[in-house]
Amino acid sequence: MLYRETGQFKTSYAADMAIFPIRQDRIALYVLLAIAFIGIPVLDALQVWPFAGEYLLRAILIPFLILSLAAVGLNILTGYCGQLSLGSGAFMAVGAYSAYKFGTGVHLPLGLFDIAIPALPVLPSILLGGVMAAAVGILFGVPSLRIKGLYLAVATLAAQFFFDWVFIRVQWFTNYTSSGSVTAPELNFFGLIVNKPVERYLLCLIFVTVVALLAKNLVRGNIGRQWMAIRDMDIAAELMGIRPLYAKLTAFAISSFIMGIAGALWAFVYLGSWEPLAFNIDRSFQILFMVIIGGLGSILGSFLGAAFILVLPIMLDQVPHALGIPISVETVSLLVFVVTGALICWLLIVEPHGFARLWLTGKEKLRLWPYPY
Amino acid sequence: MRATGGPEIAVGDVLLSVEAVSLSFGGVKAVSDVSFDIRKGEIRAIIGPNGAGKTSMLNIINGFYHPQHGRITFKGATRSRMRPHEAARGGIARTFQNVALFKGMTALDNIMAGRTLKMHANLFWQMLRVGPALKEEIEHRHRVEEIIDFLKIQDIRRVPVARLPYGLQKRVELGRALAMEPELLLLDEPMAGMNLEEKEDMSRFVLDVNDHFGTTVALIEHDMGVVMDLSDRVVVLDHGIKIADGTPDEVKNNQAVIDAYLGVAH
Repeated sequence: MLYRETGQFKTSYAADMAIFPIRQDRIALYVLLAIAFIGIPVLDALQVWPFAGEYLLRAILIPFLILSLAAVGLNILTGYCGQLSLGSGAFMAVGAYSAYKFGTGVHLPLGLFDIAIPALPVLPSILLGGVMAAAVGILFGVPSLRIKGLYLAVATLAAQFFFDWVFIRVQWFTNYTSSGSVTAPELNFFGLIVNKPVERYLLCLIFVTVVALLAKNLVRGNIGRQWMAIRDMDIAAELMGIRPLYAKLTAFAISSFIMGIAGALWAFVYLGSWEPLAFNIDRSFQILFMVIIGGLGSILGSFLGAAFILVLPIMLDQVPHALGIPISVETVSLLVFVVTGALICWLLIVEPHGFARLWLTGKEKLRLWPYPY
Repeated sequence: MRATGGPEIAVGDVLLSVEAVSLSFGGVKAVSDVSFDIRKGEIRAIIGPNGAGKTSMLNIINGFYHPQHGRITFKGATRSRMRPHEAARGGIARTFQNVALFKGMTALDNIMAGRTLKMHANLFWQMLRVGPALKEEIEHRHRVEEIIDFLKIQDIRRVPVARLPYGLQKRVELGRALAMEPELLLLDEPMAGMNLEEKEDMSRFVLDVNDHFGTTVALIEHDMGVVMDLSDRVVVLDHGIKIADGTPDEVKNNQAVIDAYLGVAH
């Protein structure tokens, strides 16, 4: 009864094509944004449970936001444009290391002429990290014009292994540190030093909100329809004048740009100092699972998937301890693997299209409630 | 409704002609030495028994297959092969024998996708969804709603097309082709698998498209009743060879056509 759009008449196409045409959805979004932007910082300032001790912010919310961002990026490529990619970790790494190089100053002696860029502030560094990732994404997207599906996945896997190798072996990228581990520059945003967990959280939140909004606009506009057309029936799309070259490469570019920013945030804001291992193949798989579990072709699904894959194991980890069951830490971590794996299987059997579809079905049912149809 | 570009062609003049076109896949000759033309404003049927090369002919016309020999002249420009985007830009739209809709999108989005070539706002504006992008989106939504009204599919605009019954999917596909405002509309078995009522509806739409919008139609169809009633001229293919060309009455009484369809005593 609460969720019904009866009486909400649209008098213009602009109103009909709004992101959230239904009033209840808009209210829910405002409430969510208010909680995220105001509620959580206030609770943190008051140190109310469960915010006491920064654990929730530092270990759950910040990584959740950053990985959601990466999942949004991959969802554009795989969910909307239908190009399977196993190179997310590589694109994130390119974003992270490019941002690091721009943040600490680029000096490239090329013999005839040297390239020397002084250390840039953090914000341009992160954005340029995204731009570099987009360039690399376009490069590794070129094979998608000839190969599809699993074969393309293997081609993107090449990107993953190539960049794993590059960032370990080519010491120029790590400024010749002996350990291969690098430390992010100070997070100075126009004189504002972002240091406390709650500040870092808000920084990520702003990035995620802006990028998610822009991504949503893209996927419901002309380019989004081109991507989906290529995904669903590429031959028909081509015969309608959609150029596969343009559609696929823009998807690769925009998706990699978002993943590059996510990688830079992961390195700068979450990890602080990191090694190439932070962006290995496991990261690619983790993000792909988020997108599949959350729902291919849904921005909301990216967030739900990230929450499920990242937060659930952490929650499960706490359960035996909270219930006072005396089992060892190793047993708990093994159990978490078993339970998470079983839940993923169960979910994919019950709803192969992921959480986003469950959400839509729920909304449809809610509109008719209390009647079954 | 007409696409831009190319010279104006008066009704009754040749819009498209294929000359001595041959296409083979390895040793299999799909089309050999076929010539015919399509005049502006007419409904032109391409018929023939199974495997006659009808669909291959459509694929040649809109650039999906490249013939080994022959020439294609469309709106005065002669090419040895058409390219898909040239054909689309030039104003050739088509539907497919097996419905080729974008399954994951709604009916509305499918038809909107047909307007891609006419939308020019760049990614920056699309990302912000203001200014030119929003204006364009609303403008084209207007045109798409006209097509939705024309095809009487208002109630299914928000339904993902995979959920629609077959007859409606065919109608949405016609809508998507119409959204391109084509000058030449290629219909590959628009009535296949339909019941009598749906066939009558579809025939009405084809006639209306031809009448109201002046769109030239080339259609492949197996239902002879439909073909004879709708079309102005019929070309008959058999085993990749043209065996007859003319008005429905001429074709109906052509001995070669009767032989091709009914078989001949050896």
